[in-house]
Amino acid sequence: MVEAVLQPLNIFLLGLGGGFLIPLLYKIAKPLPAIAFVAALVGIAAISGINLWALHNGQPTIEILTAGSTPPFSINLRFGLWEGVFTFSVNVAALLGAWHLWGRLRDSYAALLLYLILVMGINGMVMTRDLFNLFVFLEIVSIATYGLLGLDRGAAALAASFKYIMATVLASTFFLLGSVLLYHVTGTLNIDEMIARRDLIAGPIGVTALLLVLSCLVIELKPFPANGWGLDVYEAAPSGVSALISGGVSAGVFFALLKLLPLFENHLGIIAISGGVSFLFSNLIGLKQTNVQRMLGYSSVAQMGLLMLALALLDKLGAEASLPLVVGGLFVNHLFAKAGLFWLAGAVGRSEISAWPAIAGRPLVLLVMALLLVAISGLPPFPGFWAKWELVMQLSRGQQYAWILVILAGSLLEAAYMFSWFKQATRSVPNQTPVRPALRALLPATISVVVLAVSGYLAANIAGVASLWLFAPLCIGGLLYALDWLPGRVKCTMMLLAVLFVGNWIIGDLQGLNRLFAVLLLTCGLVVASAGLYRNDARPGYFPLMAVLLLSIAALLRSSTSLEFFFSWELITLSSYFLIAQGRNAHPHALPFLLFSLVSAFSLLAGFALATAANGTTALVAFGSASGPVAEAAFIFLALGFLIKAGAIGAHVWLPGAYAEADDDLSAMLSSVVSKVAIFGLFIVTYLAIRSETGLELAHVMGWIGLLTTVAGAVMAFQQNDMKRLLAYSSMSQLGYIITAIALMSHLGWVTALYLVANHLMVKGILFLAVAGIILRTGTRMLEANDRLWRKMPLTFATVVIALISMSGLPPLAGFGGKWLLLSAMVEKGWYGLAAIGVLATFIGFLYMFRLAHAVFFGPARPERTTIQEAPLQLLLPQLVLVLAILALSFLPKLFMEPVSQAIDPYFASTLVWEGMSLETIYGYWNPMPVLAASTAAAALLFALAWLIYRRARHHGTSLDLGRFYNFYQAVLAPVVLPVADAFWNGVSRLVIDAAGSVRRLYTGNGQTYLLYVLYYVVAIYVAAI
Amino acid sequence: MGLPVSHILLATGFLLVLIGMWGMLKHRNILRIIIGFSLIDTGLHIVMVATGYVTGHTAPIIDKALGIGDATSRAVDPIPAALVVTAIVIGFSVTAVMLAFAIRVYDAKKSLSIDALTESKW
Repeated sequence: MVEAVLQPLNIFLLGLGGGFLIPLLYKIAKPLPAIAFVAALVGIAAISGINLWALHNGQPTIEILTAGSTPPFSINLRFGLWEGVFTFSVNVAALLGAWHLWGRLRDSYAALLLYLILVMGINGMVMTRDLFNLFVFLEIVSIATYGLLGLDRGAAALAASFKYIMATVLASTFFLLGSVLLYHVTGTLNIDEMIARRDLIAGPIGVTALLLVLSCLVIELKPFPANGWGLDVYEAAPSGVSALISGGVSAGVFFALLKLLPLFENHLGIIAISGGVSFLFSNLIGLKQTNVQRMLGYSSVAQMGLLMLALALLDKLGAEASLPLVVGGLFVNHLFAKAGLFWLAGAVGRSEISAWPAIAGRPLVLLVMALLLVAISGLPPFPGFWAKWELVMQLSRGQQYAWILVILAGSLLEAAYMFSWFKQATRSVPNQTPVRPALRALLPATISVVVLAVSGYLAANIAGVASLWLFAPLCIGGLLYALDWLPGRVKCTMMLLAVLFVGNWIIGDLQGLNRLFAVLLLTCGLVVASAGLYRNDARPGYFPLMAVLLLSIAALLRSSTSLEFFFSWELITLSSYFLIAQGRNAHPHALPFLLFSLVSAFSLLAGFALATAANGTTALVAFGSASGPVAEAAFIFLALGFLIKAGAIGAHVWLPGAYAEADDDLSAMLSSVVSKVAIFGLFIVTYLAIRSETGLELAHVMGWIGLLTTVAGAVMAFQQNDMKRLLAYSSMSQLGYIITAIALMSHLGWVTALYLVANHLMVKGILFLAVAGIILRTGTRMLEANDRLWRKMPLTFATVVIALISMSGLPPLAGFGGKWLLLSAMVEKGWYGLAAIGVLATFIGFLYMFRLAHAVFFGPARPERTTIQEAPLQLLLPQLVLVLAILALSFLPKLFMEPVSQAIDPYFASTLVWEGMSLETIYGYWNPMPVLAASTAAAALLFALAWLIYRRARHHGTSLDLGRFYNFYQAVLAPVVLPVADAFWNGVSRLVIDAAGSVRRLYTGNGQTYLLYVLYYVVAIYVAAI
Repeated sequence: MGLPVSHILLATGFLLVLIGMWGMLKHRNILRIIIGFSLIDTGLHIVMVATGYVTGHTAPIIDKALGIGDATSRAVDPIPAALVVTAIVIGFSVTAVMLAFAIRVYDAKKSLSIDALTESKW
């Protein structure tokens, strides 16, 4: 009995029976159709869900025969795992969609009927094993779609619908002709038999027939450029209908392609190219969109393209084992993320993207939107992330590098327009009428997020990395978010405790370099994060994100495979992006931060893919033994990714804005802790370069990049009048030193790098926190606006002085040791040119740092501001802790050097790059007096020279007016800091957007033009195949 | 006459399909576009029937003239005919839906020109 009820054939019984019953019930009583509709839809979803569950637990695939006979004499259907996943996902989405559309559905029994028939039709397209039956279901789906499109009687919606109908009727005509001709040559309509007899599909008729069927399926998936009719409908139809077309109808068509794929084995290239072109170009044009639904339409088209691409390429490479993760993951991801976004768009009810600041103050709406955007962009923890990773790995294994490029470029474009939509939504605009969508209206989108999260975890399971520690950051973040209604300081304390305990648990018994970084970053992270206690406002979402950020850093350091590493890396990126986006004026700067981070991440992905293909494993330890040209290419990509993220010269344009406009205590975290993650990455990839001569050449290039970054950062820092921007550029400059030290590839170089890392960690923590205190008390970030603060904020003054001395490399503090080590290491290596530049950079650094202290603490007295007090204790305490750490590092260096040396030794023990010289010997060399004298003399000389030039140029007497001195040099150096990089990146983005603007002119809006494109597309497929 | 009836049918059918396509692409009036689609559809039905034809065989109706034993050797393939019936029904409903849209488009715009349907583009 139960079995009979659960028989998948009942899906059609419920769909058709319910559908025909509805008009009858309408005649009986008004509420009856709605009840029948809900019962039927829930029944359909339940049947598919329960059967899927049974199949998952080992029940064999259900073969459904009809009409009491076996195929080919009757139609048969199949319900296996694939069918189960597709039907159940679509049915759940259909339930949510019905909730969303309820206002429109409720009033019209015809709409209820059409909706039910549509869902049933999609189920049929997925389950049937008969070609003609597939056509019938395709037509049922199409006609039901036409009907639902008629729900909106606006002129635009009707016009779009008519164009949609014109194109799809032509496509299904091709399908009909193709399937009849296929029957003609194979003598069967049963798909399995046809596949078995596919040798018969030859000759002009057979090939034409096959291509007609293929053309119809490809056209129905809306390939670029023959898809204007689809885009118009996405834009003009009610959001619920668009969601259903984008997720449901496309799912049915895609599944038809999936099941007929063995027939198309000679045409996989066409499918892949069609998909790839659609993915790339649709995402390109997406950049230029101003209408939310049309933009989502471009994204839909692109995602379908990606699915086609993935399906065809994996099949071609014989990687069928990856299909469930890749195709299943991408499909579920697209279905729920895209439908969720359409539903959200409908709930908010603002069709123009520029009107979305209307939700700026609605945390729940923004949260749901943010998570859906993260999902659609293929970022963790959602299924799209795992699918894209696996896809790229397989493509790299099959050496399909061009396709990797297409996928990464398209994904970047997609993230760009999706998140610029988010940027609009977070922009607070005065006099904006706010939208307050009811909780009820948000429900479908919210449930989509939950479904996506669960399926993300399942996908991680399939990928084999679903361990608790990897997901712990997200779990803790979620937990803290549930408590987000508590007062700010309580939340901050809870966050600190959670990070302390869970972080400790995550890093567990790590060893070596990882342990060193973990201890440093987590301790320093906690110290800096504790400064968050100085604010007593609620800061919604801030502390959960901070917990995710810090714990993801811990998880990254624990990672033993590149997938775990990349997952944590993306979480760090995302949590810092959302944290930065909370800054009051940060919204123009958060997007470049995210985009550069994504370029960096995609570069890493490419590098990891190459390394995995070369090593045969994702284990990070395998980097130590990789060699050959592929390993070199992997090194280039990985190094590039980490350098972008470290803000190396050329890719540094994202850095000042993000650091300056983030919340004041967050800037400290970003600069001191988060930036070191990229440095850690550089450490682990340099093993790849150690192996070969060319690798060492590349390392030399990296050394130059590092020092140029240092000089450029220093010069630009010198130009700033804003304290936080100055520190941001200073951060860039200091990271340059570390990059160079790593590039030295010697024991001494690495010890230096770690020494500099520790030093910069503490120094920038202190400086940004001190600036936070100054901003809090004076209300300004400008250097000139400050006065003689050293009297009013003596403790802050003291910590800043210590930090500046340590950073500028003056004796006796840690910075001096670091600089000295660096110079020695460069000289040892014979990099004299770099050493000279290093000295110059140190001098410029000294100038801007002195200026900072001078302007802030010794500015002109402002007697009117008498109320300024010392910074609050919550800000001072972390600074004092960091000061103590600097003192320890300076005067008891062995405490730090011993573990550092131990951490590094094993990596170099096996290489010949640096042999001999233990740390003791290095210290044996360390006789600071002559070096101290020499460097002081050099600094004094350079300063005297600078002063002389200044006096000659200006003829200003001898009065010691530092303010004028700095103004003069700012003017002198101004031509050096032409914003070349800014101009370059602006040019690139303008070029891309202009390209998008030109390409989209293809879509004239004329239905006949669209029809002609469809015909051309079919002809193109035919020509390409012959 | 050596030309089998199926060839005449195929030629007629494909000709109708081509005329229909030309009509859909050429005419601006959406009623004419719908007629174009109908022509394509009708042409296709003729082609479908023609593919099932076997020269010299008879209609696949089992009666006095055609015994069960002879069915496989003397009857034309009945499947395309069965498919055509379904296809006709589907084509009919699609045409009806298109005409319904034409009425609504006219109500909304007071025009039947396809050129007027360009609200959404780019």
